[in-house]
Amino acid sequence: MAVTIFFSAFMCVVIYFFGLAGSMNSPFALIYAAFMLFLFVRMLSTKNWSRYRSVFQTTLAVLFMISFIGILYDERGSMSITGTQFQNAETPFCHIVIPAMLIPLAITKTVIFPARMIGHFASVVSMLLIWFIVSVTIGRGWCSWVCFYGGWEEGVSRIPKKAKIKVLSRNKDLRAFQFAFLFFIALVSLGTLSSVYCEWFCPFKLTTEYAQITDIPTLIATVIFIGLFLGLVIVMPYLTRKRFQCSTLCPFGAFQSLCEKASAIGIRIDVDSCTQCMKCAEACKFCAIDIDTIKDKKGKPEITCAKCGECITACPQKAIDFAYKPSVIGRIAGKLRPAGTSACCPPQKPKTAPGRFFAEILEPRYLFVFMAFTFSVMISNKFVPDALSRIWQVVSGGLR
Amino acid sequence: MPFSAAEPLALGFSTGSFCVMYCAPVLLPFLLGREGSTHRRNAALTGLFLAGRLAAYAAVGAALAAAGMLAMEFFDPVFSRRLSTVAYTFCGLALLAHGFAPRLLAKKCGAAIQGAGSNGAAGKTSPSCATPSDRILRFAGNDFVLALFAGLCVGLHICPPLWTACFRAASSGLPAYGVLYFALFYAGTLPFFLPLAGIPFLPKKLVFFRKMARMTQILVGAYFFLLAGLIPFAFGR
Repeated sequence: MAVTIFFSAFMCVVIYFFGLAGSMNSPFALIYAAFMLFLFVRMLSTKNWSRYRSVFQTTLAVLFMISFIGILYDERGSMSITGTQFQNAETPFCHIVIPAMLIPLAITKTVIFPARMIGHFASVVSMLLIWFIVSVTIGRGWCSWVCFYGGWEEGVSRIPKKAKIKVLSRNKDLRAFQFAFLFFIALVSLGTLSSVYCEWFCPFKLTTEYAQITDIPTLIATVIFIGLFLGLVIVMPYLTRKRFQCSTLCPFGAFQSLCEKASAIGIRIDVDSCTQCMKCAEACKFCAIDIDTIKDKKGKPEITCAKCGECITACPQKAIDFAYKPSVIGRIAGKLRPAGTSACCPPQKPKTAPGRFFAEILEPRYLFVFMAFTFSVMISNKFVPDALSRIWQVVSGGLR
Repeated sequence: MPFSAAEPLALGFSTGSFCVMYCAPVLLPFLLGREGSTHRRNAALTGLFLAGRLAAYAAVGAALAAAGMLAMEFFDPVFSRRLSTVAYTFCGLALLAHGFAPRLLAKKCGAAIQGAGSNGAAGKTSPSCATPSDRILRFAGNDFVLALFAGLCVGLHICPPLWTACFRAASSGLPAYGVLYFALFYAGTLPFFLPLAGIPFLPKKLVFFRKMARMTQILVGAYFFLLAGLIPFAFGR
């Protein structure tokens, strides 16, 4: 209880700073703040991370689309972008391009995505800065806690009660394909010095903006976008209960898996308590727990784990939890935590009440959830109130 | 000689990183995906790829020098773009064929896929595996054939420094000078390919890595063939 109050108080400050400061008169900002705070408190008090995470990620994805498309219609009167607008860098910078742009940036000192460098909330510099901070704090947790595209699959994958197609035995192949696709995108972007993923493979053009269809190649590209969205974001998540696009196609997700070493907190499987029931493997949305992961007693999920918390909720033995990683930053962070307070290790509980309190607030599960939720607030604080106001305008009297 | 030898060398050396950028999508997945890659084999495959590139350069240099400056009248961005799309199409086709041929052959002839990578195509020739289509598959799946052919295709991809070399070759007067200019330009880019010698250190025993590289080769092949080759060629993008 004390820990919930402690972190909720800090989250109030975060939400006020990012969501309410300067917007106190807006009822939509207040609704947003109340919604986020409610979810955070429920998350901490019930310790059911995945359930409430899923609610806000799905909500954010839908509201992001409403706000983004609304802004496009305000500015251009259309979701499509013309070649001139594209060349004038009138598009916001998308984080999915980051892995494809880094090598060309290093070699040629040019950014292959035509976006504004600075002076915009989604400029190249600001998104690179956010990516760097995210990588060293929550790592691939971005995909399950912050990404405003992933919510689509998150929502769809929760509709069926059971998976109609089981992909557990194909997890390794799916992971290999995702890294192959990342390698492919990085190489061809380097070879052509253009953002090949945006030109041909982004399924989320349907929820954001797409190139104006002026010739047959752009028509073919649009057909590919629609096909990928329907296939990988709607149909496959529905059939498999997995975040299929995130697990197979998203180059940013694969790249974040490679950057994961830098983050301090990961998921640990207590191999002594594990009964190998495989419920965690079936529940994992990112195909990060194989039969071999459990049988070989690896003690942690595979590299593509996005720390969504599904396995923690699914495990009947409570053998899975967040834990500090033995990486460089993890070692430093681990030293801050009193020894033996991890869920995996035999606890040596402090004897005094303040000691127990401080030991608990340094638990990796609370710190991770707090950090991840803070990033969520940072990313969503503008578009959620904007989307709510647009919805209200439609409900109360028609489009602008 | 109408040019100093240092000029094409310097041109190649100053822009060699771009050559590597164009070659990387073809060469890296191909070399990384080979089974049992030894230093000698890796060097031989890289050497053949570079020989293919040199042959393409020499052909372009000789043709332009023979045609003279008149050729440059027709050698505009549209033409070079179309030449690139043709090169992409054939290169993509070769990468796809090389990626799928060993599997098809293994399915047909019952040979192990493992034998395919190291031996070029699947296994040794057996009577049940010697039909013309099998021979085509074996040829398409041969590592050395792909290395040479891909080098030829990449050499026809007209990038800005190559354009400069084309102009200088066309103005050189004699086909031999054109070939020499391109050969020296090519030599200038070679140091940038040296890091490829380290590839055999990387994928040793990493089955996952090789599997991923082979998937990447097929993806690159499909992209080159369809999205960078056929569609732009047919619809002029």
